[in-house]
Amino acid sequence: MSRLLKKEFLLSMHPITPLMLALSLMVLIPNYPYAVMFFYMTLAIFFTCMMGRENHDVVYTMTLPVAKKEIVKARICFVVILELLQMLLLVPFSLLRQHLNAMGNEAGMDANIVLFAEGFLLFGIFNLMFFYSYYKNVDKVGISFVKATVVFFVLVTIDAVGTHVIPFMRDYLDTPDPKYLGYKLVALGIGIVLYVVMTIGVCRISIKNFEQQDL
Amino acid sequence: MTNVLEVKHLCKHYPSFTLKDVNFSLEKGKITGFIGRNGAGKSTTLNSLLHFVHPDNGEILFWGEDVSVGEMEIKQKIGFVSSGMSYYPNKKLKAVTNVTKSFYREWDEEAYQNYMREFELDENKTFRQLSMGMKIKYALALALSHNAELLILDEPTSGLDPVSRENLLEIFMSLCDRGKTILFSTHITSDLDKCADNIIYIRNGQIVERSALSEFVNTYRLVEYGENELTPEQMDKLIGKRRNKSGWTSLIRSKEAANFPGNISEADLDGIMVHLESEGKV
Repeated sequence: MSRLLKKEFLLSMHPITPLMLALSLMVLIPNYPYAVMFFYMTLAIFFTCMMGRENHDVVYTMTLPVAKKEIVKARICFVVILELLQMLLLVPFSLLRQHLNAMGNEAGMDANIVLFAEGFLLFGIFNLMFFYSYYKNVDKVGISFVKATVVFFVLVTIDAVGTHVIPFMRDYLDTPDPKYLGYKLVALGIGIVLYVVMTIGVCRISIKNFEQQDL
Repeated sequence: MTNVLEVKHLCKHYPSFTLKDVNFSLEKGKITGFIGRNGAGKSTTLNSLLHFVHPDNGEILFWGEDVSVGEMEIKQKIGFVSSGMSYYPNKKLKAVTNVTKSFYREWDEEAYQNYMREFELDENKTFRQLSMGMKIKYALALALSHNAELLILDEPTSGLDPVSRENLLEIFMSLCDRGKTILFSTHITSDLDKCADNIIYIRNGQIVERSALSEFVNTYRLVEYGENELTPEQMDKLIGKRRNKSGWTSLIRSKEAANFPGNISEADLDGIMVHLESEGKV
């Protein structure tokens, strides 16, 4: 697995990915729908898979002495590392955001603990939708991305609207930290659990789909 | 002695194509040409060997071991080279090598450096900067440096100029002298005339011939004839009928040659394949 991960980072990763990671900085923009920065990371994942199709990444990997299921595990593991890295980078920037402006965000969730919960939920949904479709046919990466993105943006919209119209979100979750910390930590826990369940689940399904696929 | 590769009753059904009961084996140290028209089933067969495609039926044994059981160990001893394969065009060769070598237990760095020198490859170039011939040579260098015993070559000479093709064929022959086994899929059959020991001929998803090249070629003769020049009995013996500048050409069985006065010559693989493919149209 470590050798395949090395291959993912050194050969397969799209060069724009580090830039997308750095977009955690966007949390410093006042009144911005911060959930969009998670979309940029999914874009980097899509670019990596699309470039892989053009570079015959799957064919090259299949000629190596590795099992087919390891190829799927390594790709999903690579994606999880990127997503967690973005979350990690988001920590100092969201702290800074709260320090700079305690007024909150008018365009969606504040840069608070719930934003991380949202990030995990969005990444989990993206992983589920994208990889479920992608490993049924690795050549149709665009279709897989469109399917995942439609669901992703429905959730982003619900979030942006919800912070204004759903009383619990508006009054408890979309508030500066450490207000209502208990609620926020529960939301974060739920986000992480859903992320783990969806990602592990889609990894198992993807292994089966990829095993059955004729390349 | 165990064959390097043995394929038994391989079948794969697609809506528009079926691979039917493919059987063949490869002998150690020989070049085996795998020929057939585009769409005849060469790629499906090769993809099945490498586990890219799941056969509906059949057995694939490398050194006596089933590929579905020992795939990872088997792939340690196989090198796959395809003209259509591009190794990350914007990456330097040394980056690709660095990753590739970490997967092979028997990676021989000294051998790799020797092949890179022998093939005049510069590690600091990107794959995109290589000519077609150099790309194939790089793929070969990678395959040989992990000490591959069997090389599966999918159209390795497609798109190459005659000199580069000739150079590659010489490399293949010298590799066989060193005990390597080569399965060489191509529709440029003239390449095989120069280097192959054995031939496997696939048509419409079925193996129609597998034999030594010399035996296969000697089975046929090429006859040239004009309109109304042959008797009905002679016409019945013709295999395939193709137009040329001075009339027509067909194949005949060598044993029938004595019954055909006139312009009879030895057939090459190209001629044999062209006439056999048009057999149904006579």
